[in-house]
Amino acid sequence: MNEREVWSRAGAAGGGEEGEPGAAAVRRVSLATALRDYGIYFALVVLVIYFSLAVPQFRTTDNALLILLQVSTIGIIAIGMTFTILTAGIDLSVGSLLAVAGMFSGVFAQKDPTTLNVFLALALPIFIGLLGGMINGLVIAGAGVNPLIVTLGTLTAFRGFIVWYRVNPIYDLQPYYRIIGQGSIGPVPIPVIILLLMTVAAYIILNYTRYGRYVYVVGGNPEAARAAGINVPLMIFSVYVISGFCVGLSALIFTSRLMAAQAISGQDFNLQAIAAAVVGGASLFGGRGKITNTIVGALIMGVLFNGLVMLNVPAPIQQMIIGVIIIAAVWLDGILRQRRH
Amino acid sequence: MSSGAAPPDGIVVRMRQITKIFPGTVAVNRVDLDIRAGEIHGVVGENGAGKSTLMRVLAGLYPDYTGDIEIGGQVVRLTNPRQARELGVALVHQELSLVPELTVADNIFLGREPYARIPGLISRSAAEAQARGLLRDIGIHLNPAAKVDRLSVAERQLVEIAKGVSLNPRVLILDEPTSSLTYQEIRELFRVIRGLAAKGTAIVYISHKLDEVFAVADRVTVLRDGHRVATAPIMEWTEAGLIQAMVGRDLSTLFPRSEVEVRDVRLEVRHLGRRGAFRHISFQVRGGEVVGLYGLIGSGRSEVAEAIYGLTPADEGEILVDGMSVLIRTPRDAISHGIAMTPEDRRLRGLVSMLSLRTNLSLRALRLLSRLGFVDQSRERAEVDRMIHALGIRTVSQTTEVANLSGGTQQKVVIGRWLMVPPKVLILDEPTRGIDVGAKAEVHAIIDGLAGDGLAVLLISSELPEILGMSDRILVMKNGTLGDEFSRREATEERIMAVAAGLTVAGKA
Ligand SMILES: Nc1ncnc2c1ncn2[C@@H]1O[C@H](COP(=O)(O)OP(=O)(O)OP(=O)(O)O)[C@@H](O)[C@H]1O
Ligand SMILES: [Mg+2]
Repeated sequence: MNEREVWSRAGAAGGGEEGEPGAAAVRRVSLATALRDYGIYFALVVLVIYFSLAVPQFRTTDNALLILLQVSTIGIIAIGMTFTILTAGIDLSVGSLLAVAGMFSGVFAQKDPTTLNVFLALALPIFIGLLGGMINGLVIAGAGVNPLIVTLGTLTAFRGFIVWYRVNPIYDLQPYYRIIGQGSIGPVPIPVIILLLMTVAAYIILNYTRYGRYVYVVGGNPEAARAAGINVPLMIFSVYVISGFCVGLSALIFTSRLMAAQAISGQDFNLQAIAAAVVGGASLFGGRGKITNTIVGALIMGVLFNGLVMLNVPAPIQQMIIGVIIIAAVWLDGILRQRRH
Repeated sequence: MSSGAAPPDGIVVRMRQITKIFPGTVAVNRVDLDIRAGEIHGVVGENGAGKSTLMRVLAGLYPDYTGDIEIGGQVVRLTNPRQARELGVALVHQELSLVPELTVADNIFLGREPYARIPGLISRSAAEAQARGLLRDIGIHLNPAAKVDRLSVAERQLVEIAKGVSLNPRVLILDEPTSSLTYQEIRELFRVIRGLAAKGTAIVYISHKLDEVFAVADRVTVLRDGHRVATAPIMEWTEAGLIQAMVGRDLSTLFPRSEVEVRDVRLEVRHLGRRGAFRHISFQVRGGEVVGLYGLIGSGRSEVAEAIYGLTPADEGEILVDGMSVLIRTPRDAISHGIAMTPEDRRLRGLVSMLSLRTNLSLRALRLLSRLGFVDQSRERAEVDRMIHALGIRTVSQTTEVANLSGGTQQKVVIGRWLMVPPKVLILDEPTRGIDVGAKAEVHAIIDGLAGDGLAVLLISSELPEILGMSDRILVMKNGTLGDEFSRREATEERIMAVAAGLTVAGKA
């Protein structure tokens, strides 16, 4: 935002001889806020430069597009996750819900491409995502049960349901179904375009609409939100529906990209999505977080995965590195925030 | 001023050229201050003048200050609160900082709990016994075993004070200790701090209530825009002079309430009651009228307001708006019937501290400031700017986090939020608490203007002069019931106090 707007009263903080400490203070703001607001972009750039120098294959256009493609599934889920985290909630059920939505999409994508089957293959995952989100939202907002508990429950329940429904993967999907996950417009893969559109939509909602404001306010201080006449339960309900919608969309892309529907899909997607948001500076206590930073967080994770694979780092070591980086990012964010006081 | 002399001159704290900078603001700018043993040193200034910041430096909370501090003749560099406490500095915060889940006794002895016989364990009974003795000495009637989240704002403030006193400090700093206390508790507090001062404790007393400063202080220091403007014995100050020094211009403190033609009844409550809080509350507020609601701590005045606004709904009785009976279970219901309220506990129910000033101020007006769900950002900026100027809100920008504003400025933000969209019925619970004299007059002018526009205003305040100055009628509560009602002409401080304290039913046939 515009930190430069200086209001007349505060601007008067010392005329003449006192001008000097004032100016120093202002200079200090810009550095501190710049680090706090753009530190994550800086981290991404450093990573990209490092891997580019370390591994020549890393800096090809194809690899860049591959990273974006890989990030898109998690990125879209992380967008929904950011909404729940902004309200001081969380959605652990995203991975399981993705498996459910993907499976039902696959069931119809396997059948003859009649209009109805095509429609169901494409629309059902979204619908199931919304439904799953509503279930979460109803219990959390309606019954007032802690979101961590509720979505931990649905994480297990959704997974149990889909494994019970169909253990065996579906592989023989109809060729048309490929287009969403594997198609591209010009050089840009369709999933990347969807991620971009979703990011823009979420950005507009959070920054320019009344609804977006209310999301932050409800997360920042639910009591104050209630006292200001905001329908807090409805707001809480809605963010889980948004999260469910994102999962449904992601499920469609994911199933289409793999051309397979599996009951075991998305096992640790919840952790990856949360990591993206948190590395992006979203506060689990609510009220603090930006959609653009979440996407950058997802990109950082994607670049790390990709780069470490190219460096031939064994998978277990990759996991350890990524774990340490998540903690370090949040720790650093906290330090930068405190510096200002 | 007797500066420059050696330590035996009774100066316990000597601050020289103290400067504290926040990003974008020089909160305290080269301030010199001497605090003497046994004196009550008043510190006054507008919201954001730097009073709290200066004292927080002294309490070791801002290690990055510049300047020199001597405590008890010893040059010190304060780096943390524990060090300041060991040097004998105790600060009672302006903003309540108790742990709500703990008891009164736990809070008082937080971090220095008395130990039990078994090593490693703390003794709850010893803490409670000590707390009981302490509370008795200070004249506070509270159960040390009570959980803090059950207490009212005023009661919490008393616990904070008890905590400060229990440290047995060399310098006790009270940052607006009385902002939600009523007459009786304030008198009690004065007795206590005079007693402490007589025993040699230096007291720093920050307040926006100048009558208190005149009643209790020996010397007064005025801060303005982070600078020290003056320090002088209380005898040398007049109220007008003090205000002049604080705001840099002349200002009348009492806002004259204009004559308004009273209209139809807008708000009426009949036999309102909530178990354990209040009962049989019936009154009316007409359009154009400001009705004051006064009562001591625990009398139930805030609870009545919270019931009308739906924060904690009543369980019996009826609420009518414009003659129509309405059901109010939540603030949303109240708002939809045109009732608005500024809640007493602004930390809990008002501010969203990690969000910007703009977001906080425009929250209520957002509906009017948006079209098809989209916020009209330029109009929002303009409206917020208007409020910033109307209330003299001191901030670096509209995007400053509310947490970084001074205490009184935060209060202004919550008040401003509700003044941005005039409702039909406005309930103001302590609207000027912690607000400086200039802004207080401004808030009074706004209230007067709103009543002039035909709003019904219910004004709750623990400040009698405010109630007397602004109200057309005054209702007095005691023990959860409506004690008596006074017209503007009949009301005097003595009569209201008599009813509130439940001594007699004063002077009414
Ligand atoms: N943590 C902080 N970060 C940034 N600025 C701050 C912070 N705390 C205070 N300030 C700024 O420092 C200035 C002085 O604030 P301070 O709290 O000392 O005022 P005050 O005199 O105590 O006012 P009040 O009467 O409202 O309590 C204000 O402009 C305020 O916005
Ligand atoms: Mg203050």
